Amino acid sequence: MAVLAPDQVLARHAVRISGPTTGHPLVFAHGFGCDQSMWRFVAPAFEDTHRVVVLDHVGAGESDLTAYDPQRHARLDGYADDMVELVEALGLGPVTFVGHSVSAMIGVLAAAGRPDLFERLVLVGPSPRYVDDDGYRGGFAAAEIEELLDTMDANYLGWAQFLAPVIVGRPDRPELGQELANSFCRTDPAIARRFARTTFLSDNRADLQRVRTPALVVQSREDVIAPPEVGRWVHEHLPGSELVVLDTVGHCPNLSAPEELVVAMRRYLDR
Amino acid sequence: MPDVVRSQAWSRAPVALLRLDADGWVLDANATFLGWLGRGADEVVGRVRLADLLSVGGRIYWETHVGPLLRMQRRVDELALELLGAEERLPVLMSARVLDADGDGAPVVEVALSSARDRARYEGELLAARRAAERAAEQVRVLAETTAGLSSAAGVDDVVQVLRRTALRGLGASGVAVWTAEDRGRLVRHGGTEPDGTDPPDPSVEQLGAGPVHRTPAGEVLVALPGRAELQGVWSLRPSQAPGADPWEPDVLAAVGRLAGVALERARLFDQRSSVAYTLQRALLTTPQLRDPRVSVATAYRPAADGLEVGGDWYDVVTLDDEGTLAVVVGDVVGHGLAAATTMAELRSALRAAAEPGAGAARVLDRLDGVVARTGSGLAASLVYAELAPATGTLHYAVAGHLPPLHLPATGEPRYLWDGRSAPLGLTGGRPRPGACVRLRPGDRVLLCTDGLVERRDRALRDSLADLRDRAAGLLAGDAPLDALVDAAAEGNRGPRDDVCALLLTWRGADGAG
Repeated sequence: MAVLAPDQVLARHAVRISGPTTGHPLVFAHGFGCDQSMWRFVAPAFEDTHRVVVLDHVGAGESDLTAYDPQRHARLDGYADDMVELVEALGLGPVTFVGHSVSAMIGVLAAAGRPDLFERLVLVGPSPRYVDDDGYRGGFAAAEIEELLDTMDANYLGWAQFLAPVIVGRPDRPELGQELANSFCRTDPAIARRFARTTFLSDNRADLQRVRTPALVVQSREDVIAPPEVGRWVHEHLPGSELVVLDTVGHCPNLSAPEELVVAMRRYLDR
Repeated sequence: MPDVVRSQAWSRAPVALLRLDADGWVLDANATFLGWLGRGADEVVGRVRLADLLSVGGRIYWETHVGPLLRMQRRVDELALELLGAEERLPVLMSARVLDADGDGAPVVEVALSSARDRARYEGELLAARRAAERAAEQVRVLAETTAGLSSAAGVDDVVQVLRRTALRGLGASGVAVWTAEDRGRLVRHGGTEPDGTDPPDPSVEQLGAGPVHRTPAGEVLVALPGRAELQGVWSLRPSQAPGADPWEPDVLAAVGRLAGVALERARLFDQRSSVAYTLQRALLTTPQLRDPRVSVATAYRPAADGLEVGGDWYDVVTLDDEGTLAVVVGDVVGHGLAAATTMAELRSALRAAAEPGAGAARVLDRLDGVVARTGSGLAASLVYAELAPATGTLHYAVAGHLPPLHLPATGEPRYLWDGRSAPLGLTGGRPRPGACVRLRPGDRVLLCTDGLVERRDRALRDSLADLRDRAAGLLAGDAPLDALVDAAAEGNRGPRDDVCALLLTWRGADGAG
């Protein structure tokens, strides 16, 4: 892949930067199924103290779809390479990387490869392996992952409709302002299908011990995607990590319990 | 409408209606929903989350897509999900919206599920059609890449390279090996190693008989490369281990295999012909050892950069008489390959017969025109011919549609000799050709070359000629070998099919001292 200029890398990921230039950089990466809008209730809370960076992985949101490379992005390492390029392109020095869901493992791989670029990791709902395997409980069987692909396929036509640029007013939620209908979590269906496989069929358990970067593991009380025992497993196998369990249900505490997540992150980052 | 009727309408609506809390727990469900599930309200209300009642795929989808959309957008429309019904899975379409409840402020999610059995069937057909279209598109993409590669592949090695590239780059294979079938069906492997660095085992007869695409127990995929009559080779690919890698379509592999098989068959024939042509050309391009101290001749030849075919460039050096009159020629016949090599051989013989002392350079070319007219061979070939009398330094020359000789005097500026020019062989219409003459001084040199030495695709010929003049003067001033000049030209932007031929004639003076 050709070497890109910094602004090309930032454009590739539709990067948005806010907060004081002197603030410590905080990079938010979204998980499978959504885009940077996932952080809309969390990232703004750090804009008074941190340099806040949000991004879309290639294939999601407003990223450059043409940058998707079926071979590079067939492994999470490809996404980790993207993140290394992105942190280098930011030129803000070592960052704190906040990764949700699959981005937690992308952050782990990036920090393991380039510890000089990552000061700390915040891993929200991480899972190094979703598929059960010989004494390890990831929560799913490989065949069930294929079922997910079927469900995604069944909604393929629906997604096309999600992309329809209908401008609607939202009097019930004025804070959302004039936005596109279904403007959240836009993903390219063909890429999303491959990303699903890359996400759910990867095995990054062995990579945890390569990490020297301090990390905070954030776990929901209940989460069928990344169950509490998986969060504990990550914490136990990630040297120098701390575990915090949020009293919320579901895989997206950044949406279901944003205030609690912000508090937990602040407590960790302010030390 | 009376309240009781309303309530019945909710309960018996032809769609399933539910109210959920923000985390997805079922707060209320109508009879239709419970009927689909075959469960009582006491087993569902307050006991399960809607996501728990979906297929596993649906459950992941709920957590990664539906939930986030409901949180951010507060509504979703017409999502296709599968409900785990009493006896079977029920395809449903779900619409939901989030309402801020009155009173305590905890939001409520109102959900409607409609049965989508027929629609699911219809969409299943659409999806199958889309998958077929995607497969076809993938096939077209890989075939187009392969075809493009094969179109410029000439020999067996080239075809093998194309197959390697298609496997590794086009299809993302983690390993590739190619076998070609040599005489009596013996398989010969071209490159490729196992992950541990060892040689891959040769495919067995049983594997080859198992159809065009065969998966080995070790997980490798063997693809037959059929020719018109017999198997031409075998292509073995190791699938990528990357979790997100696309699985291969056997149809695509088989199609590439058929294409490559035909290409291999053709390439084998080409290799045979071109090896004959190369042998012939090498035999022709020899420079005799001159014993005469008054003259020296250096020659250089470089085949075309792509090395595909024998080019049409040639040269020859002949001593004509006891006086030591030396005839030199550099020419370029039309075409490539075996035909060009043959023409070259014919012209060389004809020239040796035509060049007799005292005939003069122009007359020699006239005789060649006659040969071309009689045989048809060598039509439109270009050449530059010169005869040097070592006793006097007189150089007679004639040019048939070729680059002019470059005169490099021992002192003074180099210049092209633009006299004695006429059309390429066979194209003069019977008119006698002009010749010209130049008196060399001791130490003078004359460079004859083909256009491969000057032609640059990005420059006008006039500029290229000026370039060559300056470079030749600079390089040769220090007695740098001719090879350096030719190699410098080769590094330039010459066309990949141009070969280069050059001959440098030096007159050292009547006493051989210059």
